[in-house]
Amino acid sequence: MSKQSYDYDNLNPTATVLRGLDPMVIEKPRAPIHIHTYGGETPFFQGLAQGKLMATKCKNRKCKPAGKEGQVFLPPRVYCPDCLEKTAWVDVTEAARTTAKIHTHITVANPGAFNRVPVPCEVISVEIEGVNTIMMSYLRSGKPQIGLPIQPVFETAKPTFTILDLSWEPRKVEKAEKKK
Amino acid sequence: MIKFRPGNLQVPKQMRPVYLVAAGQSDYKKRYPEKKTEELAVEAFRMLALENELKVDGIQELKGYIHTACYGHFADHFGDQLLGEALIHDRLGLDPLGNVGIKTGGATGGSTLWIAANLVASGYSDCSLAMGWERMDEVDTWTGNHYIATAADKDYETELGHIYTGYYALMAQRYWKVFGKGSPAFRRTMSKIAVKNRRHAYSNPFSQTHGKITVEDVEKSPIVADPLRFYDACLMSVGVAGALLCSEEVAYKLTDHPVRIWVAAGSHTLRTADRRHMEIPLLPHEEDDEKIKKHYAKLKGAEGDERYPGFTGFLAARMASNYAYRMCGIRNPLEDLDLVELHDAFTISDIQTYEDIGLRPYGYGPEYIESGDAYLKVPNDGSFPKELVGKKGRLPANLSGGLIGCMHAVGATGIMQVVELFWQLNKRWAHFHARPEMWERFGKEKPKDLENLQVPNAKRGLAISHAGVGSHVTCTILMRPEAVIAK
Repeated sequence: MSKQSYDYDNLNPTATVLRGLDPMVIEKPRAPIHIHTYGGETPFFQGLAQGKLMATKCKNRKCKPAGKEGQVFLPPRVYCPDCLEKTAWVDVTEAARTTAKIHTHITVANPGAFNRVPVPCEVISVEIEGVNTIMMSYLRSGKPQIGLPIQPVFETAKPTFTILDLSWEPRKVEKAEKKK
Repeated sequence: MIKFRPGNLQVPKQMRPVYLVAAGQSDYKKRYPEKKTEELAVEAFRMLALENELKVDGIQELKGYIHTACYGHFADHFGDQLLGEALIHDRLGLDPLGNVGIKTGGATGGSTLWIAANLVASGYSDCSLAMGWERMDEVDTWTGNHYIATAADKDYETELGHIYTGYYALMAQRYWKVFGKGSPAFRRTMSKIAVKNRRHAYSNPFSQTHGKITVEDVEKSPIVADPLRFYDACLMSVGVAGALLCSEEVAYKLTDHPVRIWVAAGSHTLRTADRRHMEIPLLPHEEDDEKIKKHYAKLKGAEGDERYPGFTGFLAARMASNYAYRMCGIRNPLEDLDLVELHDAFTISDIQTYEDIGLRPYGYGPEYIESGDAYLKVPNDGSFPKELVGKKGRLPANLSGGLIGCMHAVGATGIMQVVELFWQLNKRWAHFHARPEMWERFGKEKPKDLENLQVPNAKRGLAISHAGVGSHVTCTILMRPEAVIAK
């Protein structure tokens, strides 16, 4: 990361504006920049920019109750929450492409400030076979419903390097899967 | 995946009894430019000291008993003030006594009581002040919603809508489908909760809102995050609440009407994503109930994909209430308690909490409303069958107006609930709510159709304070000394 210095006088104007005299109320504008790290979870966000969905898996055979199977976490965790041993990265892109479905969903009509998901935002929770958790994301097209089969879409052309690089769209279901 | 070992399930213990002796609060407003937070804190403390029939000669004598102070304040970025605890402590003139700041999101008020109660129970202090506040009016509502949304995981959740209502709406959608069978009746139950709590707020001079609403108003209000609408959500508020906790000896020196207090706490993952399936921990009254146990065994399996607590329950609330019930001898909350103040951050989370704390089995939460149990008296507003109208509920809920009607000044909320319960148990609801001067004090006029919300002969009450989408929950139980169950 290149070193960058900010012109704080322009980023964070300190000039006050009087809003009222009695009681005296003033405006205090600011626009601070936070330098935020993804740390050990970096492979997840690198993966999104490369079109991959990366989860982590507990490989500790002594971990209870995960046991031999090993729990798979998405959002990823650097350490297993049960045994606190380091987890291993696993690529779950294929599982997401073939088994993902909507666990629950909402439509956000009135998002908070700084929202960058197109409004109305179809926020969804995603079930993936073999993954023990149900991550939050958003549906970029189609009408959400519980149980709807979906597949991931990755923003690889112009990544934002945030969770928004991952979204989902409805998936066509093969006959064999329907029967299952 | 949670597997308990004996250490995890230890029944919490107070080394000596703890009493709630006095309580006070400011009024609550969405925007409160007339007063700084420090002024509101002093006003709440003055009420606590001067309006609770204490056997002391004024504020300075009372302050002579205080040994420690616990301050609940959640969001530094809202108030734009670090170490506000020190400012308030100074304004109360309690320096150089030890004080501590406590923050657990929406449960901050409950956690503050938890710490203060434990300071007294352990013998460290004979008298500890618990006070909480929030100032949420320095930014506009949408920036405020963004600020609240930073109490979700900022890398994996906050970006998705920047609105907490959304994170609850995910639960509402799932609950509605699984237990509500997608029926419009479930939407109606949610609406009735908003109507009930706003109606209670109408008769509370401390409340931020004073407009009565109807089920239709709720269902026509703007969607924030489908299926949750504007009136399904709690308020954003400015205000302060405080309570004084004492040992038995000091309690009876200060008052003839102290009330016993127990507080227990539970937690669960901040992200609902991470809530892996587990067995439902049973409350005391569920342990011997074969019907409930059979029902719970079916929750996973029959439906195929339902998990516990998943998106429909709050394990933190179940843990907190389970610890609290065993701590003070409550067997069945519906039978043993006289009133409750629940954390109605959203209508859906109110329903979920009925199940977590055992007012109904999991999956049957709406019955608590539909049976009329949650009402002091079932209202004649067209939303209940005729045979229920006028019926006295078994366990009235949120007579303060709760977070939907009265306030959600986050750090104060859990304490406000206990302030109201304390006055209820001491039969002083009318003193603090029905006198015209209480309304005039806050620049309001007492409504002519004010409803008497005093629960007759109330002896035991419960308050739930809740954070995140269930990350921290505390359960506070109050009992009049003659009504204590476990000796």
